[in-house]
Amino acid sequence: MVLHKFGEKLYSGLVSTMTSHLKDISKFIEAAQGGLFLEELNRKWADHNKALQMIRDILMYMDRTFIPSTHKTPVHELGLNLWRDNIIHSSKIQTRLLNTLLELVLRERNGEVINRGLMRNIIKMLMDLGSSVYQEDFEKPFLEVSADFYRVESQKFIECCDCADYLKKAERRLNEEMERVSQYLDAKSEVKITNVVEKEMIANHMLRLVHMENSGLVNMLLDDKYDDLGRMYNLFRRVPNGLSTIREVMTSHIRDTGKHLVTDPERLRDPVEFVQRLLDEKDKYDKIIGSAFNNDKTFQNALTSSFEYFINLNPRSPEFISLFVDDKLRKGLKGVSEEDVEIILDKVMMLFRYLQEKDVFEKYYKQHLAKRLLSGKTVSDDAERSLIVKLKTECGYQFTCKLEGMFTDMKTSQDTMQGFNSAHGADLGDGPTLAVTVLTTGSWPTQPSVTCNLPTEMLALCEKFRSYYLGTHTGRRLTWQTNMGTADIKATFAKGQKHELHVSTYQMCVLMLFNNADRLSYKEIEQATEIPASDLKRCMQSMACVKGKNVLRKEPMSKDIGEDDVFFVNDKFTNKLYKVKIGTVVAQKETEPEKQETRQRVEEDRKPQIEAAIVRIMKSRRVLDHNNLIAEVTKQLQSRFLANPVEIKKRIESLIERDFLERDNVDRKLYRYLA
Amino acid sequence: MIEKVALHALKASDWHLEGAFDVFYSQPQIKAFTDSRHLEELYSRYKDQYVDMIMADGISVLCNDLQVDPQDIVMLVVSWHMKAATMCEFSKQEFIGGLQALGIDSLEKFRERIQFMRTELKDEQKFREIYNFAFGWAKEKGQKSLALDTAIGMWQLLFAEKQWALVDHWCQFLQARHNKAISRDTWSQLLEFAKTVDPSLSNYDAEGAWPYLIDEFVEYLNENNIIQKGQPIDWSQKR
Repeated sequence: MVLHKFGEKLYSGLVSTMTSHLKDISKFIEAAQGGLFLEELNRKWADHNKALQMIRDILMYMDRTFIPSTHKTPVHELGLNLWRDNIIHSSKIQTRLLNTLLELVLRERNGEVINRGLMRNIIKMLMDLGSSVYQEDFEKPFLEVSADFYRVESQKFIECCDCADYLKKAERRLNEEMERVSQYLDAKSEVKITNVVEKEMIANHMLRLVHMENSGLVNMLLDDKYDDLGRMYNLFRRVPNGLSTIREVMTSHIRDTGKHLVTDPERLRDPVEFVQRLLDEKDKYDKIIGSAFNNDKTFQNALTSSFEYFINLNPRSPEFISLFVDDKLRKGLKGVSEEDVEIILDKVMMLFRYLQEKDVFEKYYKQHLAKRLLSGKTVSDDAERSLIVKLKTECGYQFTCKLEGMFTDMKTSQDTMQGFNSAHGADLGDGPTLAVTVLTTGSWPTQPSVTCNLPTEMLALCEKFRSYYLGTHTGRRLTWQTNMGTADIKATFAKGQKHELHVSTYQMCVLMLFNNADRLSYKEIEQATEIPASDLKRCMQSMACVKGKNVLRKEPMSKDIGEDDVFFVNDKFTNKLYKVKIGTVVAQKETEPEKQETRQRVEEDRKPQIEAAIVRIMKSRRVLDHNNLIAEVTKQLQSRFLANPVEIKKRIESLIERDFLERDNVDRKLYRYLA
Repeated sequence: MIEKVALHALKASDWHLEGAFDVFYSQPQIKAFTDSRHLEELYSRYKDQYVDMIMADGISVLCNDLQVDPQDIVMLVVSWHMKAATMCEFSKQEFIGGLQALGIDSLEKFRERIQFMRTELKDEQKFREIYNFAFGWAKEKGQKSLALDTAIGMWQLLFAEKQWALVDHWCQFLQARHNKAISRDTWSQLLEFAKTVDPSLSNYDAEGAWPYLIDEFVEYLNENNIIQKGQPIDWSQKR
């Protein structure tokens, strides 16, 4: 017909024929009852498609020639459009189709099994009719209805479920929807429907879930509920601000717990336990972030900043961390494998990094190290050195060079003693043996010089050593540090008990006096030894008032040492062991006055450091304004301590006084470097 | 000759008398107009018996001659002109040189000039110079800082001249809290403070690079509720 120029007639004939046919079909379908509606629709659709195929084949010539030249819709497409207009969009079918589909979805959501194959076909039909048909006739309403459904359901759940259960339900629904899409919806609908679920079930209830009493985020953290936390993480990351919400709550919780930890007086009684608790907390959260939060870097950073915050709330943290290390190096690491030692030291380093006042730590560490070295009490030399290396890597050579100097002194002293003994060994004979450690001033913590009269037996020997040493090291000056030494004395008591007593040098001086007197008053002892009163009282106390160590007897028998007390050798002294240790020089938590003193020394040490930084900066910048100078100085000193701007200002003024700097004539906020 | 110069000065300063004085006295030729013999006479009148300098007694006589109280601030201005190194004494060079530069060779001229010197204190720039000069002049020889008592005395004197509402509080504060000598920087910065910061402290800038002592002073004023401001400074924010 086309060839004979009847194309138009053919085409319009096709249209009208098909249209009226479809109208009949439509009535047929409308008549279908209940469940059969969809089936009929499906069947008729299949028929239609088959028919379309055939029609297209038959009218292929028209399709290829007449239609393109007249810009008419091709046959197949025409067939689809007519189906769409006469069936799908027919007033009796359109709404009913949508409602049927939505009802099936609802039933499936409520647990019923539906005919998925049928659904798939119908949906595919809509998709074939054009994406706008799918979207307008199904997807949009589907999403709206789903939103309502989940809004209601989430409200119901949140009233009756605890957080973990709710999250499980939400997760299940999410998975369901994704499965639904893969089974019978357009793949492009997946992200849209999941967004709906995420919004209704998660985003709208986020805060309520996180803060739920007894089951919310904080509870999960406390109870290490890795699965629940992981689920929360995975669900929340799907919604805007989800992760930041979790992170914020976690951060404020850690900060609060941390704050309580560092300010709780109970905890602060035992420094070692205090630090162990800190390490435990860190381990706990590392594990949570690792297993549940996907090692999320932002969470790790939040953890770090929280620790930095609360560790520095307690000004004694540096001291306590050093005491913890001291405890470990003294005995805690006994029998521990090398790898485990490294792990513990690395953990300590991590806490160290959080400290703002690293210079305070350095001061205490030096003190404690000195005590360990001098008493020979370190468990492992390798462990000590390993930690020094870690500190050096973290803070640079300046931080550790003095510490290393202390180790060198120990080694050198051993060599010196060898030399001394081989040179003078013969003359010493039966006399007391001397072991000297020579400390280079500056490397070791500064000690005030003290008075102490050594017993005559020791004096000669000490002098011998002094002249030996100065003989090989001219130009040096030696001062005996009697407050840091120890002595081993063999004692025989009245009933013949023999013991070897390990005492401090002070105690040795006191005990030796009793070789020449049976009875000595406190005042006499003080006069003879010239040991400073507070130290003397302390060392007398450990020898007279402590059970098992009371080699001396005191009258009166009070706990404290009074000026009028009198002392005797305790004839009734007993101890199961032959070797008795009295008064070891162990590192301890400082007393209040000691703490003040250390703090003062730290502050004093900071002043020249601040000045050096100011001079360095001004020398290179030549001219700099006040606020920038303060900022730069603070930045330069950050790795050691947090510089106080008021202190910086005072240092600037001091430098102005000493003509290192001047104020600019015109702008008084500007400083100029004076060469 | 003097008339010519006078006319010139008046013309240069647009016929303003004070300005004319400035022009007149700043001209170097003036030196030539002083009679060096008269100056020697004047010097010997005040010179100390034992030392070749004018000391406290001599200064008393001078003040008497000038009909000026020795505590009068104008004597500070005189010292400034003479570039005197220390208070209560003038070296021969300072005295004679100073008078020459001022064009004074008689007591009469000196008395006249006193009036002018008082007006110099009203000039902002000159006051600042005189104020800063006062530090070096009032402090002990060989010391870097100015003793607190002397400083307070000087401040009372100077700020009577140039009104500053907080001067008494400042002095009280120093006696209560500081009790140490005053550095040169603090001295000079105090004038800036008095000039730029208003007595209610409304425009005080905590980050304004003021010497620490002045910051402490502000804290003191706030602590003791001496300052009633619309907006108190929030010290909890100052690190």
